[in-house]
Amino acid sequence: MVATFLSNWSLASRQPIDKWSASTVVLCCFLLGPVAALLLTAFGDSGGLWTHLVDTVLGTYVVNTLALMGGVGVVAVLFGVSAAWVISRYDFTGRNILEWMLLLPAAIPAYIIAYCYTDFFEYAGPLQTALRTAFGWQTPRDYYFPEIRSLGGAMLVMASVLYPYIYMVTRIAFRLTPASLFEIALVHNKSQFWHVGLPLARPAIVAGLALVMMEVVSDFGTVEYFAVPTITLGIFNVWLGMNNLVAAAQISSVGFLFILGLLGLELYARSRQQYVSTSRTQNSPAALPTTPVGTLVCWLVCLVPLLFGFFIPLGVLLRFVLRGDLAADFLAIQPIVTNSVMVAIAAAIVIMLIASLIVLTAAFRAGPKLRKLALMSSTGYAFPGTILAIGVLIYAGYIDHGLRFLSGGMISSFLIASMGLLLLAYVVRFQAVGYGAMLSGVRRLPKNLMSASRVLGHGYVASLRQVILPLLKSSFLAGLMLVFVDIMKELPMTLLLRPFDFETLATYTYQFAKDEMLEQAALPALMIVLTGLIPVILMSAMLRRYR
Amino acid sequence: MRHNSRAGVSEKMRVTGIENGFRNRLRNSFANSPVILRWLMAGCVAVCLWLPVQAFAAGTINIYSHRQQILIQPFLDEFTKATGIQTKVVYASKGLAQRLQAEGAASPADVILTVDIARLAEYANLDLLASVESAVLTANIPAHLRASDNRWFGLSERARIVVTSRDRVPADAIQRIEDLADAEWQQRICTRPGSHVYNRALMASLIAAHGAEAAQSWAEKLVANLARKPQGNDRAQAKAIFQGICDVAIMNSYYYGNMKFNDDAEQRSWADAIRLVFTNQADRGNHINISGGGVAKHSRNKQQAVAFLEFLTGEVAQQLYGTVNYEYPVNPAVAPPAELASWGPFKRDKLPIERLAELAPQAQMIIDRVGW
Repeated sequence: MVATFLSNWSLASRQPIDKWSASTVVLCCFLLGPVAALLLTAFGDSGGLWTHLVDTVLGTYVVNTLALMGGVGVVAVLFGVSAAWVISRYDFTGRNILEWMLLLPAAIPAYIIAYCYTDFFEYAGPLQTALRTAFGWQTPRDYYFPEIRSLGGAMLVMASVLYPYIYMVTRIAFRLTPASLFEIALVHNKSQFWHVGLPLARPAIVAGLALVMMEVVSDFGTVEYFAVPTITLGIFNVWLGMNNLVAAAQISSVGFLFILGLLGLELYARSRQQYVSTSRTQNSPAALPTTPVGTLVCWLVCLVPLLFGFFIPLGVLLRFVLRGDLAADFLAIQPIVTNSVMVAIAAAIVIMLIASLIVLTAAFRAGPKLRKLALMSSTGYAFPGTILAIGVLIYAGYIDHGLRFLSGGMISSFLIASMGLLLLAYVVRFQAVGYGAMLSGVRRLPKNLMSASRVLGHGYVASLRQVILPLLKSSFLAGLMLVFVDIMKELPMTLLLRPFDFETLATYTYQFAKDEMLEQAALPALMIVLTGLIPVILMSAMLRRYR
Repeated sequence: MRHNSRAGVSEKMRVTGIENGFRNRLRNSFANSPVILRWLMAGCVAVCLWLPVQAFAAGTINIYSHRQQILIQPFLDEFTKATGIQTKVVYASKGLAQRLQAEGAASPADVILTVDIARLAEYANLDLLASVESAVLTANIPAHLRASDNRWFGLSERARIVVTSRDRVPADAIQRIEDLADAEWQQRICTRPGSHVYNRALMASLIAAHGAEAAQSWAEKLVANLARKPQGNDRAQAKAIFQGICDVAIMNSYYYGNMKFNDDAEQRSWADAIRLVFTNQADRGNHINISGGGVAKHSRNKQQAVAFLEFLTGEVAQQLYGTVNYEYPVNPAVAPPAELASWGPFKRDKLPIERLAELAPQAQMIIDRVGW
């Protein structure tokens, strides 16, 4: 029965069941476990809470969430695409430095940036104090200053740390667009950006945007601090305030299905289009020279996102760190730094291997059903971290229970209360990031590349090794870097699922930041940023070499 | 441009693959590695070896804590010093009850510590706590601060008080928490969001005192009096008074101590700007919440777990609650430290604390309705 099931999945590839499809199906189903556990929980009885929610707060939650998604989406696309365009199309002074600097905001956790921004922009912050001194204002009633703890503030803050998801993939897409296509636009006197670059980069932009949207929907730290009542805030009120996990799981599931719907819509919209380029065999476009004014514009396009996403928060953190005893403080947290880095590296490698296997099998070995399953397996990202962690717990409880039963009590706890639980959670959540990176790489490969290699007598494995994988190297590295940075700053799941006496920089930062003790939180937060910088710099150097 | 040399990469890879230099091997290590599937299996094996076997060592108790590790470490150190029993901690603010539930009988946890009654009740409702018979705990903790079935125990008292601006509000302008509904305070009150667990418990205490309808009417008027959208934590409210954004705020009393003795001069000036008002002194007393704890149902070290709770209600630890975090002792035999005593004695609301947890869902509904 299992065999027929499996052969159905790989039917479209007209091949017998092979270990590739089989292992991918098993892996995907395994990864979907926590999501399934949450959906199952949602089928429970919520005790008529929905009537109350619909009557009171649900409308506000939905409107705020949609507004936040829209706002963050627009700003992040604006930042990410415009920066990617000038970096990949124009040759200007400082371009090489800005190219990798633009990735830096990815290393700053959203919950830290929210604290930093409040500190900077609020009434007692340096900006307003300076304005008051300059203009002689006395009280808050003397002038108008936009409230940073608001919907608009949350949009700006989140977009300025999330745009690198879009920038990273879009930049690669622009660079891999064949020069000949830009030349056609030139010949026809059409805009290279609007008529060639943007349409061809659409899959990449959407892949990045999907991650941004999922981050927005699942964020708790920023919206809580800024007091913006979104669906996620509502989920926690229902769960912890009304002791109703079922209703919380139901709201999360609705949000989850909403994201799924958006993804499906985009997939449908471009289902009849083909995005193929034989990039490696064609010339990539040469960068265009710029005038001094042009250089200035390019700088502006790159520096605005950097200012909001990196320099302001970094400045605030540094101001706090420099007040303390740097050497002593650093010695105290050094073991935590090592711990965080080791865990993040290990998990990132595991995630990228899994993502590569799933993407490659889905692309070259399997039919549309498995492709859909593969896409599904990366949707854990759309749940708020803590809620997904609950799903992981319920699921791991089942697994351990099963193992205990099968082993006749020999194994009492395998996942529970061990590093395995945390690793599982990381894979379930961040598989989406690795999947997105690998998929946007595979999408740009011509479909016939694999077929050509097979026709020429190579086996599947040899074709992967000699033809496909070398072309995906940059995507793999990009994914590895994003996942590493994501895990370094991951907070809610690590907090809940970690073993005893286990600290990462994120959990260590949080116990101070929770009580707004920014001075103590600043150094570990800064270390998250700095350790995030290392892979950013390393990998962009490698990307440049392999480009 | 270097792109020009990119043509026919796969052929180039094959050519360089034949060469045997270290650099080339390094460069091709990714492309020429064994199949991903094999990597993955190797990875799985490595991970399994890496999983630390959880030790259920005798002489060690495992603690699930909703209170930050930095705040409970002094207690743990004193406990180990007094008994020789080691401690291990997982701290998280949300979801530990679900973790304990999923772990079931295999759970390594011995003791649960929380910072409010709602979380404690959640554990009790999920049947995750053991009933503990301890003469020491019964003697040290007043009856209204522990569960009637002995499954959880209050360990410190936290008073939710009103603070007012020293400059802009006369000393006796506010007597009762109910006064915050008066039109006099329009545009002058700051609070953190209503859905926060501390405000939810306060709301529950008002339901207990006046019934749901009157409590909702109070909440509506309070929201109408707010000077700004509810935001920040309790400390941020004192800051807002200092800055002149508002004149009155609701706050847990220990924040005052934390600010008054803060390393940061800025925070000390926030404390200087406010006056503490213990409410309802002429009637039911000031609303209080507890930090508390219980023994995990499936603990393998129940005896030592109970010893830990007993230690927390004893003289040394009860004093520590006051000195570490400016919370009041639950043990009537232990006098609060001098600093706490200097804030003045006050009458506490003696409502059985579990009522707050029972009324919490109703309180959250009111909070949703009035948009606090």
